[in-house]
Amino acid sequence: MKILVALKRVADPANHNKVKIPASGDRIDTAGLEWQINPFDLYALETALRLTENGKNPKKREGEVVVLTIGPKETETNLRSALATGADRAIRIEAVDEELDGRLVAHALAKIVEEEKPDVVMMGKQVVDSETNMVGQVLAELLDWPMATFAATIQEQPDGLLVEREVDGGVAKVKVTLPAVVTVDLRIVSPTSVRSKHTEAGFKYPYEEVRFAPLPAIMQAKKKPLAIKNLSELTPDLKSTTRYVKYEAPPGRKAGIKVKDVQELVQKLATEAKVI
Amino acid sequence: MIEWSEQHQAIFSAFRRFVQQEIAPLRDELEHGTLPPYDVLRKMFATFGLKELAEMRFAKALEQDAAADRPASDSEQDDGVGGDMVAMQMIPIIELSRVSPGMVTALGVSAGLTAGTILSRGTRAQKERWGRELLTLDRIGAWAITEPGSGSDAFGAMTSTARRDGDEYLLNGNKTFITNGPYADTIVFICKLDEGNDPKVRKVLSFVLDRGMPGLTQSKPLRKMGLHASPTGELFLEDVRVGRERLLGETEEISYRTGAKDTFKTERTGVVAMALGIVEECLELCVNYAKTRVQFGKPIGEFQLIQLKIAKMEVARMNIQNLAFRLIELARKGKKMSLAEASACKLYCAGAASEVALEAVQLFGGNGYMAEYRVEQLARDAKVLQIYGGTDEIQVSQIARSLLE
Repeated sequence: MKILVALKRVADPANHNKVKIPASGDRIDTAGLEWQINPFDLYALETALRLTENGKNPKKREGEVVVLTIGPKETETNLRSALATGADRAIRIEAVDEELDGRLVAHALAKIVEEEKPDVVMMGKQVVDSETNMVGQVLAELLDWPMATFAATIQEQPDGLLVEREVDGGVAKVKVTLPAVVTVDLRIVSPTSVRSKHTEAGFKYPYEEVRFAPLPAIMQAKKKPLAIKNLSELTPDLKSTTRYVKYEAPPGRKAGIKVKDVQELVQKLATEAKVI
Repeated sequence: MIEWSEQHQAIFSAFRRFVQQEIAPLRDELEHGTLPPYDVLRKMFATFGLKELAEMRFAKALEQDAAADRPASDSEQDDGVGGDMVAMQMIPIIELSRVSPGMVTALGVSAGLTAGTILSRGTRAQKERWGRELLTLDRIGAWAITEPGSGSDAFGAMTSTARRDGDEYLLNGNKTFITNGPYADTIVFICKLDEGNDPKVRKVLSFVLDRGMPGLTQSKPLRKMGLHASPTGELFLEDVRVGRERLLGETEEISYRTGAKDTFKTERTGVVAMALGIVEECLELCVNYAKTRVQFGKPIGEFQLIQLKIAKMEVARMNIQNLAFRLIELARKGKKMSLAEASACKLYCAGAASEVALEAVQLFGGNGYMAEYRVEQLARDAKVLQIYGGTDEIQVSQIARSLLE
């Protein structure tokens, strides 16, 4: 199976206090931010690796995982870390972050899919910077492929993938034929969530996250192929149609108040907070 | 070299994640000595493919042995590979030292010092018997030189003895402050050959011992000031009978002192990486604290006395990091530091780490004295860097001697 995994770099969510908005409010100041791969996209990478190995011997690949990102040269650091983690090769589409939106990204991905012809395109269910969730769905529409979003488990079957999605009140099972687009949720990295046709019966992964890159793999990641494409050549007639009007930091939390008794509490809940 | 490369950064972040996920949660157990460090170190080896690297290193050492008669410790003479190796060894030490310097010591003594001694001085049979499993952490090693009456004057005052008894030797003596002593599977025991001659002129010999040999007693871990993640113990030998196959090199005609110098140099450069980890962690903790701790209506970072502390920590960090870069760059060129330069590095880094960590405790005030804020542990752990691997005073005399001779 050949899987194309789309990765987006995001500002490290653990350092969210470093995000600054200039007084003009027209952008986010990205200077000094530490970048890493969107966590849900890392889960997609782990899922793709699990689908292309037998679990017991991760060195023996049973297919191909190609990672892709769209952005400036610095994003190659993130691609190489994905290569060290186990991906076979990488593609970077040269573009300026500020000129992108979900629709444009989906169109660019569709062009790459035409060239690469993967069996599955995989990515996280959403990005944690802008909390958006659309590229997978738009891409499936553009390609006219079946899609399964928010995957919590994936089982490879002879005629496609059986995907379980957690929905309100239960689990929805979706069967997709290949090729297909899949976006993954957090639980996809549980020890038994992903079963390829090579995974041995009863095999459990001993971790619940994206795997660590072994030291020799980090050293060799530089030798794996990394191709560069140009967004303007892939989608010459398209521009972002999303316009960001204004950025604003959420208001700081105000100090609370103390009330004397229950009566005052009830009164304030009714008249000030207006929740009862 | 002026900065860490992208590859180095990738290694840093991988180890940082491992340390945060796997080691930081065990900190209390490691600090209280209820958990030996070895299983989590083995997990680290398995996770990062270090075990396979160790196997490769072992195979290479044997190969070189067969190819030439030059000693295995000179194996870093090739273009740039040596530098990468040094950087790859330093980065895990730096990251581990931010949370658990003791773990570095336990690891370094076993897979570095003990394995290194056997690999550089042992016969091929001895290397195969003990070397591989020490390098891969399948066995834990200890290196026993210090005695109750002999510390800095290790060889002069050494009273441990080997006596010939037919084709065999009888070993006797007490060793103390032995890292991994309580749990070691393999022990390099250093002693003097007693031929009834004056102790001053006796030959120094090393023997390899296994856990459980008759006459060998390994004590429980000793209580100490810090470095609790590294179990330290005593060894007692009473008429331990060994054959010649346990005599390192299988010859009495081997000058101990030459090999020892290389060992000291490696130990001393390891301290650079440990000091860097401790200083980086203290600095990061202090900067965050100075920004968020409010006294007299403002963050304490706005007070100049706090700023002075932080600025001095940054100066120390820059100096130590530059020494680390120099070590990597030297290895890239196939060169090594002289013993005096290694001593100077160790003296500076150990002192700087101790000072920075103590200042970090001061910056945190009452909170700094509490275990919860971690700087007090780093301060206790950093102190050992001025004592082991040659005290500050020994380093000073070695530097001065090289200048004055």
